[in-house]
Amino acid sequence: MVTLDICGVECYYGSVKVLENVSFTIGSGELVGLLGPNGSGKTTLLKAISGALRPKAGAVYLNEAEIFGMKSREVARNIAVVPQNTDVNFDFTALDIVLMGRHPRLSRFKLEGEKDLTVAKNAMELTNTWHLAERRISELSGGERQRVIIARALAQEPKVLLLDEPTTHLDINSQLEIMDLLKELCIQRGLILLTVFHDFNLAARYCDAIILLNKGKIVSIGRVDEALTSENIKKVFQVDAVVKKHPLTNSLYVIPLPLRWVKASINKRFRVHVICGAGTGAQLIKTLVEKGFDVTAGVLHVLDTDYDTALLLNIPVVSEAPFSPITEQNYKANIKMISEANAVVVTSVPIGSANLLNLKAAEDALERGIPTFVVEETPITQRDFTGGEAQKLLLELKSKGATFVKSQNQLLQLLDELEVAKVR
Amino acid sequence: MCSGKSGVETKYLKRFAKWTSITLALSLILLSSMALASTVGPMPISVGNALGIILHQVPLVGNAVKEQWTTVEENVVVQLRLPRVISAVLVGVALSIAGVVFQGIFKNPMADPYVLGVASGGGFGALLAIVSGVGLPSLGLFYAVPVMACVGALSTMFLVYAIARTGFGIPVLRLLLAGIAVSSFFSSLISLMIATAGEDIHAAFSWLFGGFPISRWEYINVASPAILVCSAAIYAFARDLNVMLLGEEQARHLGVEVETVKKRLIILGSLITAVAVSISGIIGFVGLVVPHITRILVGPDHRILIPSSALAGASLLVLCDAVARTILRPIVLPTGIVTALLGAPFFVYLLIKSGRITV
Repeated sequence: MVTLDICGVECYYGSVKVLENVSFTIGSGELVGLLGPNGSGKTTLLKAISGALRPKAGAVYLNEAEIFGMKSREVARNIAVVPQNTDVNFDFTALDIVLMGRHPRLSRFKLEGEKDLTVAKNAMELTNTWHLAERRISELSGGERQRVIIARALAQEPKVLLLDEPTTHLDINSQLEIMDLLKELCIQRGLILLTVFHDFNLAARYCDAIILLNKGKIVSIGRVDEALTSENIKKVFQVDAVVKKHPLTNSLYVIPLPLRWVKASINKRFRVHVICGAGTGAQLIKTLVEKGFDVTAGVLHVLDTDYDTALLLNIPVVSEAPFSPITEQNYKANIKMISEANAVVVTSVPIGSANLLNLKAAEDALERGIPTFVVEETPITQRDFTGGEAQKLLLELKSKGATFVKSQNQLLQLLDELEVAKVR
Repeated sequence: MCSGKSGVETKYLKRFAKWTSITLALSLILLSSMALASTVGPMPISVGNALGIILHQVPLVGNAVKEQWTTVEENVVVQLRLPRVISAVLVGVALSIAGVVFQGIFKNPMADPYVLGVASGGGFGALLAIVSGVGLPSLGLFYAVPVMACVGALSTMFLVYAIARTGFGIPVLRLLLAGIAVSSFFSSLISLMIATAGEDIHAAFSWLFGGFPISRWEYINVASPAILVCSAAIYAFARDLNVMLLGEEQARHLGVEVETVKKRLIILGSLITAVAVSISGIIGFVGLVVPHITRILVGPDHRILIPSSALAGASLLVLCDAVARTILRPIVLPTGIVTALLGAPFFVYLLIKSGRITV
């Protein structure tokens, strides 16, 4: 069992403090992600750990041995670093480069022997670069080169692997390949892996723990779901983001929201409640939010496309468990939300027993005197799965004064007019 | 993956054998060049006699050679030609190795042994002796110039080093800039001295063009141990130099004590250059281009690049000096002129043919 202890590390560049009291511990077999905005001190932290930078206070220990104080060779036998920038412009072959990983293990005049070649070959096979062995490193693509550099790090046979955005230059396929490999090495060989990420989702998917760094200080550290919350992301990156568990990968995923949406939502004081589902409302909700309307939605079923959209846009929504009929409680919540709206829109949503109550809610809106619009892009006959009940309710809506429109554009025009009238 | 060893692995494991053969081949070329160069010169001496005289000097083997030559011939070969050829070998080795070292440290193909101002510093020292007679009374005619050149070269190197140094080490860019600044300063002093030199001007120019007008065994006895020791010491850092081509930060992560290695290599490279400058004056081109030519031929690995460059540089300089002595007979040209005249076109040819140039 190997442990890497970072104890109260403080680093300065000149008189500028770049790291402040950073402490954490990583054990073997753990993959830890380091996230933070540019200039938050991520790279500096890697430098302090690899012994390239002397901490002004605190220290880094590998199995209780202080790293800054070890000879470079000894550090290199324990810690390998994959840098951010791997531009190389000379005539060494890929295998030459990987064999350089053996440098700290070879005495001064010793030539690389059979063992070194075996280690290098294994490392290159793991990173899928052995077929490039005799190619010039300067002729390889960015992704191939990065994999060669990772192979070189593995050839050092380190206990700790520090990576500074290892997959930034890679295409999505190579990214996953490299991350899968790193994860595997981490578990099988008990490596300690500390990796700087820019991609939340990659980090969330592969890391055992996450460290969020901002202005040289640790903002949050812990399991992925503890550290990667929308509050923390907002605090560190000043970005609104949705954090959800993905049903397929079962890992968290983070979707940062465009600043445009976040800003737009405070433009108008006109609230539109959208009754939708099955993807019929997604586009409308997005357009309304972009136009600056205050939008709410409900009742929507979890896992529904429209529900996801509402979450992404961070708008208030009444939700129901997947595929189940709307409960009395949620129906009431929806009515309450509707009562606070200036207008209600019913999209061309397919109506079944699970969402029939939503039409009743629209009726309630009309009774309260709230202008209600029904978008009929698809005739109700084609989307009524209640045996005519929905059709009946829709006719009722018409008789109570609901406005029927044929297209979204027409709807938007009417809503605009309504909004202008309200402002006056 | 298939079991057993693939071609690539075998090839890598046999690298040492390959390097040995390259070194042997280049050594043979050097020996032939030396033999050839010893037989040519203003005085016509037959090839057989010249070789016989040389062999005669070798202990044990020498007694077996039958003496068929005159004492004058023997004196010409032993006291004039041999020291000149061996000086050329030493200077060729020194400048080529220094070139490899500085190009490696700076990761810059334009770097040469004189990048830290060793040439202009040495030149200034030499001219002080030639023009102003500094050191002449105490050191004597034959020693004042080389000693003053060496002192000038080394002082300049330490001056540049001291200027470039910071609390964190020696950033190579600072070193390069300090070298350029100090070089220009001493070059101007050299120009100033030439402008006011008077009748010593010929001797001054001859030294600045570089060559071996006065080669003495006494110089060789001092210079050869220095150059051999420095070369061996530099070779000990061959693999560190390879790794340092990846950049200083990555080199550190691969276990190279970058600042220490850099410091030692800067001192060793300058020292070896200073010794060369003090016996031959400023011979340009060799230190800049021989490493490139060798790199095209044997690849960038310093473990073979250093010995190959040394042998190739020595051969080049020996041959160029032979040309310098014979082409306009009886006039002997400064060797530095010939190296550039012959070397530059050859280098351009290789450059075009290989289509690439890298460190």
